[in-house]
Amino acid sequence: MADATTAGRAHAPSGPFRHFMTSATPGQLALALAITVFLALFLIIPVGTVIYVAFTEKGTGTFTLVNFVDFARTDLFIRSFWNSVYVSAMSVVLASIFALPLAYITTRFDFRGAMLIQTLGFLPLIMPPFVGAVAMLLLFGRNGTVNLLLNDWFGFRIPFMEGLNGVIFVQAVHYFPFILINLSAALRNIDRAMEEAAQNLGCSGFRLFRRIVFPLAMPGYIAGASLVFVKVFDDLATPLLLNVKDMLAPQAYLRVTSIGIADPMGYVISVVLIVMSILAMWVSARAMRGKDYATVQRGGGGLAKRQMRPWESVAAYAAVFLILLLVLAPHIGLLLLSFATIWSFSPLPDGFTLAHYGRVFGESFVYVKNTLIYASLAGLIDVVLGTAIAYLVLRTKLIGRQWLDWAATAALAIPGVVLGIGYLRTFYGVQLPDGTPLATLWIVIVLALAIRRLPYALRACYAALQQISVSLEEAAENLGATKVRTVRRIVLPLMAGGILAGFVTSFATAAVELSATLMLVQSNADAPLAYGLYVFMQSAAGRGPGAALGVIAVLLVALCTFASHLIIEKSQKAKGAGH
Amino acid sequence: MNQPLSVSTLGAQAVDVDIRSVDLSYGTNHVLKGIDLHIRPGEFFAFLGPSGCGKTTLLRLIAGFNRADGGEVLVGGREVSHLPPWKRDVGMVFQSYALWPHMSVKRNVAFGLEERKVPRAEIERRVAAALELVGLSHLADRRPSQLSGGQQQRVAVARTIAIEPKVLLLDEPLSNLDAKMRVQVRRELRDLQQRLGLTTIFVTHDQEEANTICDRIAVMNDGAVQQVGSPMELYEKPANLFVASFLGTANIVPGRVIEEGGARLFEIDAGVRLPIPDHVTVPEGAKLVFRPQHASLGADGVRDVSLPGTVLHSEFLGSTVRYGVKVGSAEVSIDVPFQSGEAIHKPGAAVEVGLSLNSAVWLAS
Amino acid sequence: MPRHYAAAAALIGAALFTGVAFAQTGKVTVVTSFSKDVTDPFKQAFEKANPGVTLDVQNRNTNAGVKYLEETKANNQVDLFWASAPDAFEVLKGKGLLEAYKPKAEGIPDKIGSYPINDPDGFYSGFAASGYGIMWNERYAKANELPEPKDWQDLAKAVYFDHVAMAAPSRSGTTHLTIETILQGEGWEKGWRTLKEVSGNFRQITERSFGVPEAVNSGQVGFGIVIDFFAFSSQASGFPVKFVYPTVTTIVPANVAVVANAPNKAGAQAFVDYLISPGGQEVLLEPSIRRLPVNPAVYDKAPADYPNPFKDPSLGARVKFDVEVSEKRSNVVDVLYDQTVTFQLDALKAATKAIHDAEAALSEKDNAEARALVSEARDLVAAMPITAEQAASPEVTGAFTGGKEKGARQAELEQQWSAFAKERYAQAQAKAEEALKRAR
Repeated sequence: MADATTAGRAHAPSGPFRHFMTSATPGQLALALAITVFLALFLIIPVGTVIYVAFTEKGTGTFTLVNFVDFARTDLFIRSFWNSVYVSAMSVVLASIFALPLAYITTRFDFRGAMLIQTLGFLPLIMPPFVGAVAMLLLFGRNGTVNLLLNDWFGFRIPFMEGLNGVIFVQAVHYFPFILINLSAALRNIDRAMEEAAQNLGCSGFRLFRRIVFPLAMPGYIAGASLVFVKVFDDLATPLLLNVKDMLAPQAYLRVTSIGIADPMGYVISVVLIVMSILAMWVSARAMRGKDYATVQRGGGGLAKRQMRPWESVAAYAAVFLILLLVLAPHIGLLLLSFATIWSFSPLPDGFTLAHYGRVFGESFVYVKNTLIYASLAGLIDVVLGTAIAYLVLRTKLIGRQWLDWAATAALAIPGVVLGIGYLRTFYGVQLPDGTPLATLWIVIVLALAIRRLPYALRACYAALQQISVSLEEAAENLGATKVRTVRRIVLPLMAGGILAGFVTSFATAAVELSATLMLVQSNADAPLAYGLYVFMQSAAGRGPGAALGVIAVLLVALCTFASHLIIEKSQKAKGAGH
Repeated sequence: MNQPLSVSTLGAQAVDVDIRSVDLSYGTNHVLKGIDLHIRPGEFFAFLGPSGCGKTTLLRLIAGFNRADGGEVLVGGREVSHLPPWKRDVGMVFQSYALWPHMSVKRNVAFGLEERKVPRAEIERRVAAALELVGLSHLADRRPSQLSGGQQQRVAVARTIAIEPKVLLLDEPLSNLDAKMRVQVRRELRDLQQRLGLTTIFVTHDQEEANTICDRIAVMNDGAVQQVGSPMELYEKPANLFVASFLGTANIVPGRVIEEGGARLFEIDAGVRLPIPDHVTVPEGAKLVFRPQHASLGADGVRDVSLPGTVLHSEFLGSTVRYGVKVGSAEVSIDVPFQSGEAIHKPGAAVEVGLSLNSAVWLAS
Repeated sequence: MPRHYAAAAALIGAALFTGVAFAQTGKVTVVTSFSKDVTDPFKQAFEKANPGVTLDVQNRNTNAGVKYLEETKANNQVDLFWASAPDAFEVLKGKGLLEAYKPKAEGIPDKIGSYPINDPDGFYSGFAASGYGIMWNERYAKANELPEPKDWQDLAKAVYFDHVAMAAPSRSGTTHLTIETILQGEGWEKGWRTLKEVSGNFRQITERSFGVPEAVNSGQVGFGIVIDFFAFSSQASGFPVKFVYPTVTTIVPANVAVVANAPNKAGAQAFVDYLISPGGQEVLLEPSIRRLPVNPAVYDKAPADYPNPFKDPSLGARVKFDVEVSEKRSNVVDVLYDQTVTFQLDALKAATKAIHDAEAALSEKDNAEARALVSEARDLVAAMPITAEQAASPEVTGAFTGGKEKGARQAELEQQWSAFAKERYAQAQAKAEEALKRAR
């Protein structure tokens, strides 16, 4: 969200209107307008219809800020606020601790299996709702596998999943891929010569990391870390499933979904969530301003990776293995659960069976089909919008383009249930010619998924575009290409990696989303995997089949992710762009 | 501008660098083949060669950024092959300068001293001295991104000499500068090196740079040292065709040795032949090699031998005129000093090519 | 898009066959909070009894379902709302989202246990009932050497500290009814005392009903206060759990209602009729469903040990339950519980633990002063910020309903009540710790 770095566009700044007119092509203006309309229609208005309650007085409906005063005066909310801040910050720290060794090893050293790590390291993001937490509890809960064994052998337990610590642990594992991806990219961008110069001057080991590598990787890292902070801050599913209620997001959810009580506080909290999210992103953007250390290489000094000595190799493999084991534990638990007959108060299930898969087999086709369609479309919408917004922010001087960025990013803070209700409110009244309400069409589910994932894609596209020097585009224009052709032939191919990353993230998280889906799904025929899973998880007998569906969801997304990586790699190689 | 810390102390500590039978391969790529070199204390030594000849690899080997498969490297008589880079005490200036963008110029230069746990006051003093030495004291608080290329390079140098290394390694330090800066900076580097008396190794592909400032040069090609010597030695007495043609222009004329009447002759073509001096051995398949300025046209000067030739073209170079002349089936370049008022031979003109046998060599390869 | 064709067909079908109980065609859409275990058998049976009709089941949790009906009322596409506790139905009724319908069934009494089966205004009908009880994980109990509980009060014993779970009454209508039953049965003061004593032993308070049996099934928690069919279905699935009805238990109903402006009104009514018909009532006896029919005659078809609220007085009949009282203070009770227990659970537990420890010490070495302190501590824990009269007063209830009464705001009340509780628990803890010192 830094200012556009297009240097040298010196227009005579005589009045905003003239400036406005001379610095953007009609095409760019139209694009900005289209995006604004889209965001207004599918984000701002629906959310607005829901949270305006926060600003009104109950009963009379007059505008007031007294609800916010109440918020500040309520012990529970203030406590929840600070708990949320604490949990979010610590989740970032813990996730970074997990991610750092993996990122460092795979980017700075010649390490076989780097590709595998990057793929596996992405999996924690794909954790189906409900059943993921059940699996975690079965492994790490007070009477889960680890603790039962520890208690039997040594007589003590480790409170992995108790209270706030439990939330931090689960969130760190869940969002660790974001940090991994961002850290890897940041580390990869550091010129080897920076490290060698320090080594030459006598620096090595941890000092080298602390003084040179980490500061240079910091800006890229902060971009990812702030995203995780915001996401954890706004996440309500995990705390609720761990029965932690004194955090902001679950409080909002509990109040918004309570029936019979017309309570504005749920919406007040939603507003607080939105404001905090935007604030966090803004602070991180400011902190990074001017420190973008995308180091420019002045010839020579390649990014050759270092070799590892044998003992270093062993240590590295061990560290990688342990960390992967930890962050993939939920999936291991999920897998076990899907094959388990009964798993109750014991380290492992009593027995194993394929019956659950058999039960879901017939139904899962429709869920899989729907999930693929919804998630792919959502991903596509996101990268198109993300690229467009990134382009407008970085390459034009349109007034107010920052607001597009911030509005899109604010979508992170909207609880899914609020968006779902907002969509119902806004679109149910709209009818198609034959009387069907607009909101019953499955495209509305796709839009809800897309809007809430737009921030991920936007950040990825933004980062990718930032790396491309403007001179590359100017060269194309100089040779006769219009702006549109330049974008198509030069910018987009160079951004491909970032666009892919954005698509994959949107796709993967959309495929397991539940909260907005729950409000908007009309019938089983339209339901995605997450919904089918939810329905199963409402009964005791459904745990196994729910887990089986969860495994199917994870496999599906993992395969698609891997496939899209391969496709892009192939096309990059075909173009000769070896990175 | 003499700084007490720099001049005499460093000069007294100048060390030699000894490279013995070093071999290095990347997979099947044999990059360094049996390198043997000795660099004398206080010498300004160059590794010169085309891209891919292994000169940078050799430099990085000395710095410790790669490991040889065989052989040893000694700095000041001490074996360093097993030491990691941070323990070798050799200062390296990188081709990209590698200045850390998140630190000011002052902090960059102070870095090595901080690593050596030098007391703060001492650090301040030595940083100031180093910056003074390269003339950048006024930019101490700037960030590298705010400096020009030449200034950045000087900061890189200051950063390295601040730690008073035993050896100074320069990896193509002038390649990122424009032509005028190059000339200026290389002189400054030479001045600096002489003042400090530091043993310096300088990697470059530009023979003009190597010639103008180095004491001795190792010419490398294809992973092997072709010849070591002072610029003039290499120029006058190249050991093989590669060195001959890499350093300055050389005329390379093929021919064959024939015997006639007990004397050896080198026949370039039918009727075009010259006598071979007695003391010279001509290897099998050797070619005649001589510099353009060691030949003449017409009856100028005393020459040992005269060959018939035809002028093909001429280039006016200011102080000289360079003629392309056909001698037999070979084409040679001949530089003739330009006297104003003198006519230039026209293409097609028949001329007498005079050759000084003292400066002619026969090289097989 | 075949959906609107089906709706049109249903409308035409309904128009043609209005008044005829059978031979419906088309689609009947139901929003329900029941799980597939329940809806599937009913769907199959209903469709079999009414060929040509499809039952389209939309699963949502109760709260989401209510919200959904609210938001889509302008162009309602749902025929039926089918869920457990009456509180959701009351909300929908209050917003005019339901349509009254009296099912064509005979032999259905007015009350089951002490609870009325149907809405007196006819907007929703009870079709099944369930009892509340205590479920526990055998392995957990064995590993922690905990005795089998028999009654609510047992769960207040020190031995069960940190081993019990329950759903929040604000999130589970059926749990709310259980709480309300205790309050009505024992009276406001004593009822809250019991509730607090039991809640002090809680490990978790879940935000959805199913959270409790899930936790007990996994062994995360040992004992859960649950509705009976959760326990039975867990047992049917093979989990090592046991269940007991306490001596005084609550019977909570499950209901169905026709949604206002239903696209297939006739189909919806047919479904309601089916549920209450003997055929439909028998479906409740299936092991995967295990609910209590509201038609007493159907119990003849049930196995011998099947609980029968019409014959067994311990199943709910002993409690005098006043529906009006319950409804009036429903929101207040929910919020009171949340503010004084759910969101203060750590403080409550700390106080409870201190009291347990003190009493354990006292049982070995008695001390009059300490005993008095413990008694004071218990009183502090049990204290409530408002009386029963206040809880039913318009000033208090109005704060939660958006009425135009200018009483205190909801947030103010919540803050008052939670501060009240927090303070009391801290004092109680201090006194109990003091007592412990003296007893040693």
